[in-house]
Amino acid sequence: MEIGFIKKLINVIVSNESKSSATDEELVSTYLRTGDSAAFNELISRYADKVYGFALRITRNTSDAEEVFQEVFLILTKKLDTFRGDSKFSSWLYRVTANSAYMFMRSQKKHENNLSLEGYSPYDEEGTLMGKIMYKDWSSRPDLIVFNKEAIKIIDEAINDLPESYRTVFHLRDIEGLSNDEVADVLEISVSAVKSRLHRARLFLRDKLSDYFYDWRK
Amino acid sequence: MFMCKDVVENIMEYIDNELDLETLKTLEKHTGDCPECMAFVNTYKRMLEITGKLKDKPFVTPEIRNRLKILLESKIKPI
Ligand SMILES: [Zn+2]
Repeated sequence: MEIGFIKKLINVIVSNESKSSATDEELVSTYLRTGDSAAFNELISRYADKVYGFALRITRNTSDAEEVFQEVFLILTKKLDTFRGDSKFSSWLYRVTANSAYMFMRSQKKHENNLSLEGYSPYDEEGTLMGKIMYKDWSSRPDLIVFNKEAIKIIDEAINDLPESYRTVFHLRDIEGLSNDEVADVLEISVSAVKSRLHRARLFLRDKLSDYFYDWRK
Repeated sequence: MFMCKDVVENIMEYIDNELDLETLKTLEKHTGDCPECMAFVNTYKRMLEITGKLKDKPFVTPEIRNRLKILLESKIKPI
């Protein structure tokens, strides 16, 4: 890749411009067909936050996330031409990010206990809810309360308390808004595994948030 | 018999409007009679509203951008 092109790319990364209304795939195809660096740059400015955010969700540490973030962009400057459109560009990029993050964690010997939440549920053996949900009901709290800075921080930490395989699914599906199929594509797991992990992750988080908002009122 | 457990295990399809009409009716009959399940459904929905808003949280600071710029520039220096 020529130096002038990479220089332009760097300028866009730094300025964080975003101006094109083309889809990601149109931009990739324009770039691959014509070598138009503006198309490539637009992709970068669209995805800087997403790549960093996903890396941070996996590593749970800002300096680790930044290393992964840098690695992903280094890979992109070398390997965008290996993207062939078998999946969406965003899925491909999330997959590059996840793989870079896993590789980084392995190289740092940062292993995470990947607990299973498969048995996690709010009901008893008879299939009845256990009696605290209505008592702790916080659903009618106004936005002003549940979206305050402290609440958002607690919510973010609660998500980070999820075991890694649930956390990545939850992040992509419920924060980034990918479909079940896209999440399955990114993480290279089945759609039914996505649904099952998402289900347990949400039950776990709903409990955590209820405890938090209940304690907080007292 | 439709239990709280069935509300919990069908909640994703319920939220996504993917339940068949009969299951939907049975589920809503249960939540109508069971305040625990009603609270469960309401807090579950509210949680999704909140976590959906985390999407707009800015991540990459100007410092992070700048360090990336320096790194990429160092990689393209002529040998
Ligand atoms: Zn019930």
